[in-house]
Amino acid sequence: MREREGRLAVWGIMALLVALHFYVRPRLFAGRAAPDFLLVALLLYAMRTRPGAAAVAGWVVGVTVDVLGPARFGAGALAHTLVAWLASWGRSVFFADNVLVNAGFVAGGLWVRNILTLMANGTTSADLVTAATLWSPLQALSTAVTGTLVFILFRDLLAPRGDR
Amino acid sequence: MRHLPDRSPTRRDTLLLTSCVVLSGAALATPTPLTQSLANTLRATALRPVVWLQERALEGRTSRSRFQALEAARDTLALGVLDRSALQQENDRLRRLLDVGPRLGMWFVGAEVLHQPVPTDGRTLLLSVGREDGVRQYDIVLVPEGLLGVVAEVGPRSSIANTWAHPEFRVSGVTADGAVLGVVAPGASTLATDAILEFRGVAYRDTLDVGTVVVSAGLGDVYPRGIPIGQVIGIRQEQPGWERVYALRPLVNPGIVSHVLVARPARAPSPLLPGDSGGS
Repeated sequence: MREREGRLAVWGIMALLVALHFYVRPRLFAGRAAPDFLLVALLLYAMRTRPGAAAVAGWVVGVTVDVLGPARFGAGALAHTLVAWLASWGRSVFFADNVLVNAGFVAGGLWVRNILTLMANGTTSADLVTAATLWSPLQALSTAVTGTLVFILFRDLLAPRGDR
Repeated sequence: MRHLPDRSPTRRDTLLLTSCVVLSGAALATPTPLTQSLANTLRATALRPVVWLQERALEGRTSRSRFQALEAARDTLALGVLDRSALQQENDRLRRLLDVGPRLGMWFVGAEVLHQPVPTDGRTLLLSVGREDGVRQYDIVLVPEGLLGVVAEVGPRSSIANTWAHPEFRVSGVTADGAVLGVVAPGASTLATDAILEFRGVAYRDTLDVGTVVVSAGLGDVYPRGIPIGQVIGIRQEQPGWERVYALRPLVNPGIVSHVLVARPARAPSPLLPGDSGGS
């Protein structure tokens, strides 16, 4: 029963992040450094599930991003799949459930996602360097701050089952 | 969702990852018209709720600074309209004297830009209007400051615009005084918010001063004449005796624009249409 409640709570947080992504972010944030709530939700899920399920979730989120962010179709799907897989696999290596570790995961995940997306789009190397050194770190920072707030606010609900 | 202490990938995990990567690769290899059609369908069906949610969010975005900007724009327009009436009458009189038909208008519809937090946002933009609103492929996308881009794909209720930052963007340009012609294209290392445009094919004998405004030349069927594109900031490269390429600072930043006009210039009826009884 408690497990079911915990699972529902996590799905509730995911739904909240999706709502934040599509309703609050467009109202409050403009520009390329805006936090990506959808990626926070994906990484939250990926860090708490098996790599295979994380890859599928990443692919679904990636297709959504490809449909809504019209660039080269498939680029987002590929990038999100790999990032979700790496997050799930990496979580088993960096096992500490620490706020800073989680923030690092989110920031690193977003940076890798952006670089992979640009590479799959056939972006020139000059653009890639600018994105890697300027915009992606800024967006990674804003997204990591968002992720950290979520982790702090919902720490009890997001903690691994044995730690509750 | 389960918390498993040992989550090293199993065969099943690897199989799922491989499937997702193969599907993504297949999508990347699929021709663009096919994937755009699929994307249009998904936007109009499965993802319609999130597009709707984002549209409502943008409609509700009425910050104080935005209101002040709108007020300033309205005041500028009001001043322009005061002068316009006399100019319009003068223009009509001259046209009648020269036996020229009335000036053709422009169809337009307002649209919200649905930005996404992905690194390619700014080259292509998702607009909140589509076929049902009268939008067609190759309609132009404008903001009060000037030209933003052109509609590349049209779905039932949304469309995709390629902005000037898109590598395939080209428009014939001319200086505001009509003296120098060229082609405007994105600079070689273009990113949406810090990029420049290039004014190419300018004859070597023509020199442009810094600050000169370049507008669309009206050649071709897509862009009408006179839409501001950019301002000269210097010479980008030159081939002595042949041509100069000037660097332009774009007048519109696609990374932060939130409301646009999708417009289409009215076309004059062709005098050579089959069945036409003849001109005047």
